[in-house]
Amino acid sequence: MILDHPIRRALAVAALYLLTALALDELRLHQVITAETVQRLTGVLMGTVVILSANLIPKRLVPLARISCDPAREQALRRFCGRVLVLGGLGYTLAFVLAPIGIAAMLAICLLAPAVVAVAGVSLRCAWNRRGAR
Amino acid sequence: MSSIFKALADPTRRQVLQMLRAGPMGAGALADAFDVSKPTMSAHFAVLVAADLIEAEKSGRTIMYRLKMSVLEEALMGFAQAFGLQVTPETPATAARSRAKEKS
Repeated sequence: MILDHPIRRALAVAALYLLTALALDELRLHQVITAETVQRLTGVLMGTVVILSANLIPKRLVPLARISCDPAREQALRRFCGRVLVLGGLGYTLAFVLAPIGIAAMLAICLLAPAVVAVAGVSLRCAWNRRGAR
Repeated sequence: MSSIFKALADPTRRQVLQMLRAGPMGAGALADAFDVSKPTMSAHFAVLVAADLIEAEKSGRTIMYRLKMSVLEEALMGFAQAFGLQVTPETPATAARSRAKEKS
């Protein structure tokens, strides 16, 4: 099947998201839906991308022989990143669903940004420790 | 999805997943922690591998098991743990017994 290959599947999902965004814009131009609805749906779409991608982070394993640090720590880091980003993505999505449209984008970013910063910080610290250990 | 529910339905398998949360473990070390025979334990591991919740990796002469759960699967396990999910009352041992009964 064409979607069995991970790259093909990723490309198909990306195409689906682009087509959805274009379709939403087209619907707005034909005044089927309002600009606010388009903004909300696009936000939800982006939030789900974050959630779905982050959900799979702990499942992408590197062979034990290729891990240069403690495998238990590597696993803990992976799980932490996955959880934090899923929560951030969930916050981002919910902000676009529930918050007044005037503050939805700002609130969504405020909810997702700490998650991204936390993941970046932990990853950088891990890389720094690994360099120090060499 | 049903394979995940089946895997999470058994308390022994849930405990294996719980132990693997601390880090990768050898098959022997995992089996020693339970009061069940090695073949039964192997069957439990096979169910978990089939559900894609753990990964087996050969390291020298031992097989190392690693947790391979997505965030959603971990949340499901949390629910199963909290509410004692028992989708199928079957364990590999009881399944083998019922299969033997069916044959006879």
